[in-house]
Amino acid sequence: MSETLSGLRAWLLQRLSAVYMALYLVFLPLMVAIVGPQGYSGWHDLFARPVVSVTSAIFAIALLLHIWVGVRDVCLDYLHHPWVRLGVLSLLGTWLLAMGFWVARILINVSV
Amino acid sequence: MRFLIYRYRPEQDSEPHMQPFELNDVAPGTMLREALIRLKAEQDESLTFRHSCGEGVCGSDGLNINGRNGLGCITPLAELKEPIEVRPLPGLPVVRDLVVDMGEFFRHYKVVKPYLIRKEPEPEVEVLQSPEERDRLDGLYECILCGCCSTACPSFWWNPDKFRGPAALLQAWRFLADSRDQATDERLAELEGPFKLFRCHTIMNCVEVCPKGLNPTRAIGEIRKLMLKRSV
Repeated sequence: MSETLSGLRAWLLQRLSAVYMALYLVFLPLMVAIVGPQGYSGWHDLFARPVVSVTSAIFAIALLLHIWVGVRDVCLDYLHHPWVRLGVLSLLGTWLLAMGFWVARILINVSV
Repeated sequence: MRFLIYRYRPEQDSEPHMQPFELNDVAPGTMLREALIRLKAEQDESLTFRHSCGEGVCGSDGLNINGRNGLGCITPLAELKEPIEVRPLPGLPVVRDLVVDMGEFFRHYKVVKPYLIRKEPEPEVEVLQSPEERDRLDGLYECILCGCCSTACPSFWWNPDKFRGPAALLQAWRFLADSRDQATDERLAELEGPFKLFRCHTIMNCVEVCPKGLNPTRAIGEIRKLMLKRSV
């Protein structure tokens, strides 16, 4: 388990990421309402705007970190066998990293 | 009045069971502790439970009463639905009948060093506090260590060996909040990590059941705030 994310830092990260995500979930519908994207190219142009792609990238990072801390908390509560816990956390970490790369790829493809 | 009482005598029972009892001529205002004393004296002298002061001060008779933790000595029978189910405090090993092994509970209490630590030389006279500094200890020093809060806490059930539990954390804050204490950094360092403090998910069962009306969840929040303040 990561020492750097163990107690206070993980707790703080979960709260800060929650606040950011709450703000983003207000910001994005507002942007959609203002821009009013039509069809694929409209959405593509919306996410090609730096303000949207950057805030979305931060949102993705915040979401992945939030999931990591939250699911890790559940594992610490319920999974007491160290190998089982390590296995589940490794799977989770791998899956979250894959999701992160996928989001990054989409946002980069949209921006270039 | 009908009772269902948890029985477990390790020398003869392979498993615990609930034993029915009936008590007649219950005087108005009778507390559960008095009923248990009568049941033991009149019906089954092997019934085992802890009790002492009989007025909610010693914290000996923490019990699970109709599914809710509380002190037998200040729980009026009139407020309880029949049959009154009495079980030992949950989450701790049962020694016998209603008596649990409080060893783990007190180990956590001991680790938070529930006493003042001074680094400066002892003064000639007492260390004075302002009235405001003294007021910060209200709602903290009154804990009687009955264990009702920690044994009602799911986080304590899940990790009883690692999570300090609401009672010990309330005491940790009681000394962190004390203007006379000088071991803030050491106390906070001891509580860092994912288990000791941060297993609290603010479920607040502790607040719900505390027979003294204390608020361990708030104390845990204050410790987190202090940790945050010190780390930035």
